[in-house]
Amino acid sequence: MLPNSDLYPFQMIRSELTWIVGEANVMTDDAQKLSHSIDYYWVPECWHDRGQKLPGPDFVVCPGTAEEVAKVIQVANTYKLPVVPWGGGSGSQGGALPIYGGIALDTKRLNKVISIDPISMTATAETGIITQQLEWEINKAGYSTMHFPASIGCATLGGFIAHRGTGVLSTKYGKMEDMVMSLEVVTPTGEIINTLPVPRHASGPDLTQLFLGSEGTLGVVTKATIKIHPIPEARKFHAFLFKDMHDAMMAGAKLMTSRLQPCAVRLYDEPETARLIKRVLGIDRKGAYLVFGFDGPERIVDIQLEEACKICNLTAIEDLGTESGEAWWTNRYKFFYPPYMFQMPQAFGTLDTVATFSNIENVYWGMKNAVKEKFPEATFIGHFSHWYDWGCMLYARFIIENPPADPAESVALYNKVWDVAIREAIRNGGVINEHHGVGLKLGRMMKDLYGPAFTTLEDIKKTLDPNNIMNPGKMGFKGA
Amino acid sequence: MNIDKYLDIISACRFCFMCRHLSANGLATGRECDTPRSHALIADLVRMDKANLANPDYIRTIYESDLSGANRRHCRGYHADTNCYDEIGLQLALRRDIVEAGLAPAEINAIAEQLKDVAFTVKGTADVLYYRHPCVDRHTPEAADAFARLAPNAAVIEGGDCGTALDILGFAQDAQAVAAKFLAAVKAANCKTLVIPHPGAYHFAKQNFAGQGFDIITSADYLKGLAPKAAKSGKVVFIDSDFLSNYESCNAPRELLAAAGYQVEDFGTNPEESYACGEGAMVQMLYAPTIAKALVERVARFAKAYYDGQTIVVAAPYTKAVISRFAPELKVITVEEAIA
Ligand code: SF4
Repeated sequence: MLPNSDLYPFQMIRSELTWIVGEANVMTDDAQKLSHSIDYYWVPECWHDRGQKLPGPDFVVCPGTAEEVAKVIQVANTYKLPVVPWGGGSGSQGGALPIYGGIALDTKRLNKVISIDPISMTATAETGIITQQLEWEINKAGYSTMHFPASIGCATLGGFIAHRGTGVLSTKYGKMEDMVMSLEVVTPTGEIINTLPVPRHASGPDLTQLFLGSEGTLGVVTKATIKIHPIPEARKFHAFLFKDMHDAMMAGAKLMTSRLQPCAVRLYDEPETARLIKRVLGIDRKGAYLVFGFDGPERIVDIQLEEACKICNLTAIEDLGTESGEAWWTNRYKFFYPPYMFQMPQAFGTLDTVATFSNIENVYWGMKNAVKEKFPEATFIGHFSHWYDWGCMLYARFIIENPPADPAESVALYNKVWDVAIREAIRNGGVINEHHGVGLKLGRMMKDLYGPAFTTLEDIKKTLDPNNIMNPGKMGFKGA
Repeated sequence: MNIDKYLDIISACRFCFMCRHLSANGLATGRECDTPRSHALIADLVRMDKANLANPDYIRTIYESDLSGANRRHCRGYHADTNCYDEIGLQLALRRDIVEAGLAPAEINAIAEQLKDVAFTVKGTADVLYYRHPCVDRHTPEAADAFARLAPNAAVIEGGDCGTALDILGFAQDAQAVAAKFLAAVKAANCKTLVIPHPGAYHFAKQNFAGQGFDIITSADYLKGLAPKAAKSGKVVFIDSDFLSNYESCNAPRELLAAAGYQVEDFGTNPEESYACGEGAMVQMLYAPTIAKALVERVARFAKAYYDGQTIVVAAPYTKAVISRFAPELKVITVEEAIA
């Protein structure tokens, strides 16, 4: 953080930035700094809640073109100033927090849909566009991104690219790394580059995939070409109740390994069924709630739905029908609105982990038992929310109703839960994580996760970003 | 403090991002502080330490807000079973706290002084009293003239804003004083129906003058009964009013256009976003022209992309005025003009 806004260096940098993006787009006011000092990560929320002053950026800069982004980064290199890209600020891992001050590079002025190609079914957009706005613009042309995350209203396209985000229909339409065709990136030294225009090739390692998930540590993604899809003729859902999570998991796995092609599958463990499914959907049952859906031409949807129901009817204790499935789809975002979402003073976190079907239950029980044993004050709930041919993602959550009032103690306890749970997940074959990213929160576990391979990632970072200006201290990389 | 009545909203919105795609200012400027989350964070700091109320950056942010109500309406859609989070109420409470602490910016005080200077007069006697609101008079006299042609026998009240803008700027007591004068003038006119062409004033009147012995309706509602049916044809692109759509759930202008024979297409890409260009803040362009311009530029971008050269019909006089100021190349008319 620069020491004093009255000093020469501060004013010099400010003038340089202003020259690039204009007066109105270089902000140093307290309202902007406050807004960029808290994201959706529990720790800054807790600090704010307990009246602590949070580290913020020295400058909030809102460029309007990739060229402006490049010039801002060149200035940052001159002054060795950290640059932290900020999209919607709704990341849960602290990835966009400007913990060392410097420049919060807010991308939201890069908000245009540039072109739609109805022949190849792709769209090219600037990455600061909020994804709901992107979806609406694509809808206007008669298509859909099929990207429906709970954070659709707040996160930007770039935010999703930065941490390999996903949406409710990932099982059919994929995660962000499956949706993206190519990227325009401003590198940490301020060059504008483009990755190859198609994602399937044999022209060396795929640079698109290198930048996907790099969380602003390897540059700023300024433009992306993504796949778009026709609006399906039908989309139908169905839900079942199982005696327990294991039975439901077996049915879900069977559904996937039978190579049916659901657009969504979601399984809630018994505690989450009792807590959230009851509260949000009003379905008051003991057991594990499994819902799935199919979309596409109606005849194909009906056939697939019938086959999926056959699988579930073998072991389910109750067929909850299409109505209960449709209710889930209608209310899919509701879980994340107050008062359904967890709130201060509760301490809570999403222990997002992904594993093969062979390992996923071990991951679940490993984490659950470890949390239960070491932190009796914590409740552990979970659902399995993104399903693939080979496994699925565990969206486990812990909730501590009354964490210590002292913020340092509270954060220490919070971090301990993560340390215990995530290391247990890794030990059982889990990968942290599936779609929330690493950020600040999980950086310290990257070495455990990658082993010696982490050095390769560090080498890439050092080569691309010799001055270590891009989002320092995140993803396990060196701080500023 | 006024914000003390909104503690549950502060606590819900301060860490919530779920409606940010509808923050009109935020979409137009890209600024992170132009969201309910940031407004709630500011309110939270004020709650923790009143000294924060004096921070000029916070004061400016709160006054620059568009108050479109789109966020609140979206939030309400998810809370049929509980109280909706009134993020607009919180912002207005903050404004009242700022004013009561004597911290309102000079340009806001200057506007308030003008708004307090009212003298209501009624011309004519009739069951129907038409409120020739100063915004209508100044920005869209053609709308008032169109109304007069369609309803020549209506009496007319004029002489200032009835308290709406003062209320929105945080001058609650002054707003009530002006409202009392307006009410006295309306009552003296002995009308049965008060017709209000200004959506903000209509909302304020519904809040403050209900149950006073006369009906309060919008001019669109009134004209529905008078305008010749199906006399028009073709498609019109329509921008709704924040006050009518997001505050009052009133669909009268759209219904009027449809009854007149138009095929109404809503402007933009979606039914939730506000395209009214700061109408909810009523006088925003007077003291925050940069923001007002950014709001218009967003609308102009969509107009060029989707409706190039077409006429846009707006429900609020403010919307016409602000678009005409910052994007004079766009063809914008009021609902009254469209059906006249
Ligand atoms: S108004 Fe509702 S959706 Fe918007 S920030 Fe507040 S609680 Fe969240």
